[in-house]
Amino acid sequence: MESVFIYRQLEPAAPKEGHLQGLRIAIQPTISVAGWPTDAGSNALVNFTALEDATVVQRLRQAGAFLSGSTRVSEFGFGLRDSKAGEALRQQTVDAEVVIDLMGESRLAASRVAACGFKPSYGLVSRFGLVGLIPSMESCGLLSGSVKNIRSILKAIAGPDGLDFSLPDEEVPDFLSQEVDPRQTAIGVLAEARDALPAEQQQAFRASLDELKEAGFSLREVSMPDFPLFSTVHRIVGSVEASSCAGRYDSVRYGRRAPGARNWNDMYLLSRAAAFGPLLKSYLFQGAFFQFERYDAYENACRIRGRLVAEMKRLTSQVDCLVLPAVGCAPSATTVSLADTYAQFYVTAFANVTGQPALYLPPPSDGGRVGFQMAGPRLSDARLLALGECVLRVRQGGR
Amino acid sequence: MEFEAVIGLEIHVELNCATKMFCDCPNRPGDEPNVNTCPTCLWFPGAMPRFSQEALEKACLLCLGLSAELQPRSAFDQKVYYYPDLPKGYQLSQAHLPLSRGGAIDIADEDANPKRMRIHHIHMEEDVARLVHEMEGRQPISLVDFNRAGVPLVEIVTEPDFRTPYEAMEFLKALRTQVRSVGSSECSMESGTMRVDANISIRPRGTAQMSTKVEVKNMNSVRHVGDAITYEINRQTAAVEAGEAVVLHTRLWDPDKKATLPMRAKFEGPCVPDPAVPVIELSHEWIEEMRARLPEMPGVRAERFVTQYGLTGEEAKSLSSDPAIAGYFEAVIGQGIAPRTGAHWLTTALVPAVRERRQELSSSPVTPARFAALLRMLSHDEINANAAREVLMQLFESDEAPEAIVSACGFRQVSDAAALDSLIDEVLGAQPAAVADFRDGQGKALGFLIGQVMQASGGRANPKVIRELLSRKLGAIS
Repeated sequence: MESVFIYRQLEPAAPKEGHLQGLRIAIQPTISVAGWPTDAGSNALVNFTALEDATVVQRLRQAGAFLSGSTRVSEFGFGLRDSKAGEALRQQTVDAEVVIDLMGESRLAASRVAACGFKPSYGLVSRFGLVGLIPSMESCGLLSGSVKNIRSILKAIAGPDGLDFSLPDEEVPDFLSQEVDPRQTAIGVLAEARDALPAEQQQAFRASLDELKEAGFSLREVSMPDFPLFSTVHRIVGSVEASSCAGRYDSVRYGRRAPGARNWNDMYLLSRAAAFGPLLKSYLFQGAFFQFERYDAYENACRIRGRLVAEMKRLTSQVDCLVLPAVGCAPSATTVSLADTYAQFYVTAFANVTGQPALYLPPPSDGGRVGFQMAGPRLSDARLLALGECVLRVRQGGR
Repeated sequence: MEFEAVIGLEIHVELNCATKMFCDCPNRPGDEPNVNTCPTCLWFPGAMPRFSQEALEKACLLCLGLSAELQPRSAFDQKVYYYPDLPKGYQLSQAHLPLSRGGAIDIADEDANPKRMRIHHIHMEEDVARLVHEMEGRQPISLVDFNRAGVPLVEIVTEPDFRTPYEAMEFLKALRTQVRSVGSSECSMESGTMRVDANISIRPRGTAQMSTKVEVKNMNSVRHVGDAITYEINRQTAAVEAGEAVVLHTRLWDPDKKATLPMRAKFEGPCVPDPAVPVIELSHEWIEEMRARLPEMPGVRAERFVTQYGLTGEEAKSLSSDPAIAGYFEAVIGQGIAPRTGAHWLTTALVPAVRERRQELSSSPVTPARFAALLRMLSHDEINANAAREVLMQLFESDEAPEAIVSACGFRQVSDAAALDSLIDEVLGAQPAAVADFRDGQGKALGFLIGQVMQASGGRANPKVIRELLSRKLGAIS
C-alpha cells in the first residue's frame, strides 16, 4: 500500500504558543514549505524544493500549529485519483489537513473519510506559495473532524497579505463563534443539484435533509436552471487557465529533462511531453484547444461565468444558506478520464466557479443518510461555519 | 506602377524604475548575469507577481506625455509563447485592456509640412530574459541571463500613419525627446532601453488597399530603422514587380549586410487574463494628480519660448527638447540677460563645452548665475566675444567669479578712444598698403585694419569703437 505521506516532520517536544497550539496539520506538496519537497505530485517538478514558505504555512506556524508533513496529491491537485487527502485524518495522525481545492477536492476528500471539509471564499486566503493550476478558482481547502477546528484555522490564515496583491481590498469576516437560531434560519434546497443524483442517492439525501428539519431549520426548494453550466464553465475556463499557467512547469529548470533532444526546442517539447500524466495532459490539451482553436468559446464561458456569479448571488440573498449534495454522478475514486473527473465533481465545482464558500458536513454515524454541502454568498464564511457548527451540535443532542 | 509604403511602429521602452515590474529585484539588466533575481522573476512554482507602483506611475506619465488617454480600467494577461527566454511559458502583458488608448506626436515631413502621427494604444509588459549564444569548445551553448526578466516595459503601438523612412525616424526622435522629458526612460536604442519593430507593407500609390505586412526587428539606432525600412520597401517593391506574393513574416535587420533576413517565428497564442495581478483601476483624481506632475512638454515649451521670449522657431526648438537645457536657459534669462543672447551663447558655446567635458549641464561648475554674469559683461561691452569665450573655458577650471577672471587676465575690453587712438595711428603708419587699398574703395581693407588694431591691443579692444575711430580717421585722411 502506498504511504499517505511523502514527507514527514518529527513532532517537537514542546508545542509552540498560539491559538492553534498543539494542532497537528498535514499539508500537500502543492503548498510551499521552505526546504520541503514541493513537487505538486508531478514529474514536471520532481525534486523541486521550495525556497520560501507559503503565507498559509507561515501563518499556521505563527499561530502555534505543528505541520506534520505533506501527503500524496493528484498531479497539481487536480481531482482525487492519486490523492491521499483525508487519510491522515482518518488514521488520526493529524487533527486537520490543508488541501488544494480546484473543483471540490477538499469537500469530496472529506466525504471519503466522514470528516468536515471547507472551501473558503476566493480572495480570503493568500495564494502566495501555492503551486497552482487554475488561478481564478483554486483555494486552500480545510479538512478536520470538527467545524470548530476549521474555524480556528481559517481565523489564522485568512486576511490581507503583502505577498499576494490579488487579494481584494475587503473586510475580513470575524471568525468568532456566532449564535444561530434554527427557527430563524431559512435553508434553500437547490433542486437542480439534488435532481442530478441517481434515484437511490436522492433517497439518502432527502433523509439527510430531514435531520435539518428536525433541528428546526425551515427548508424550502430553490431553483437555478443553469446549474449544469457550472461544470461546463469550469471545464472550459479551468482548462484554458491550466494550459496557460502550466507553462511555468516546464520540467527544464527542475523536474527531468528528456534526453536525446537535438536542439533546445526539441528538449522543451520532449521534456514537457514526458512530464505530465495522462489526466493532466488531456486537461492541458483541452485547454490549449480552446485557447488556440476556439477562443470564442473561452470568451463565452467567461461571460457565462459572470452571469452565473450574479444568479448565485441573487439566489443566496433569498435564504440564509443553500444545501446541496456533495457527491457527483460517478463516485468512483479510480476515474481516469476528464469526463469522469468532471462527473465526480459535478455538484462541487460551482463554488470554485463563483468563489463562494462551501462546507461539507458528514452524515451522522447511524447510517442511511449521506453528507451534504452548505453554501453561502462570498465572504459569508464565518456565518456558514457557524451554521455548520450548529447542525453538528444539534446532532449531538445540544442546542 | 508606383507604390507607396504603409508603415506602423511598435516601440518597446524600458522604464527607468528602481525595481523590476513584479518583484523588488534591482532594475539593472547590465549587472553580472543572474545576480538581480528572486523566486518571483525566476518564476519558481508558488511565486506571485507584486505589481510595482513606480512602474505604473512612470508608465502613466509616459502616456500622458504622449497625449494618450489613460484608461480607467486596465489588466494584465498571460501572453503565451514557448521560448527559453521566457521559461514560465507566458509573458505578463496587457493584451485585452491596455493602459492607454490614442495619443499622437506631431512631426514635420520631408517637405517641412506638419504631420500628426497617431498612437493606437500603449500597454505595459514585463521584459523577458536575455539569451546569450556562445561556443564551449566546438559545442554551441545557449545561456540565459535573468537580470532582464521582469524589467518594466511599455509598448507604444502606432497607427500605420507613416509613408516614408524619414517620417518614422522623425517620429522616433520626437518620441525619445518627449519620453526623456517626462523622465520615464532614457530611450537609448544603442543600449536597448528603446527597441523598435516596424511593420511595413506596400500598395499602389493613392489606393487604400490593405497589403500583407512584414515585421522588421533588431534595429539598434534611429538610422538603422530608416535603413531597414528603405531596404524593406525596395525588397517588397521588387518582389511585387516580379509577380511574387509578399507573405506575412518577421525579418531581422542585419546592420553589416545592410539587409533584412527572414527569422524563425515564435509560437504565439491568444492571451488569457491573469487573476494573480489585480485589475488596475485609475480614478479621475489620480490621473489628474499624475497630469499635474507632468513637466511642460517640448512642443508646448518651444511655442512658449517663441511668444514669451521672441526666439526664432529654430532657436526655441533647439532649447526646448532637453528639459535640462530649457531650465538652464530660463534661469539665465531670469538674471536679466537678453533671451536671444542667452539662447545663442548657451547653444553654441556652453552646451558644446559641457558635452566635450562629458559633464551634465545641471552639475557643471558653470552655474546659471556665473554664466549670466559673463554674458552681462559681454552685453555691457566690458568684454568682447573672444574674451567671453576664453573666460567661459576658465569658468570650468576656476571657482572665481567671471568678473575676477576678466580683471585678473586683463580681458577687460578697451573702449576708451584716447587709449585706442595711439594704437590706431601706429597701425595706420605700419600698413600704408592697406590704407591705399581702402582709399581705392576696397572695403575689405577696413576689416584687415580693424584686425591689426585688435591684435595690437592684445585682443582687448572693443571692435565697435575701433571701427568708429578708424572710419573717422581714414575719412579724414581722404
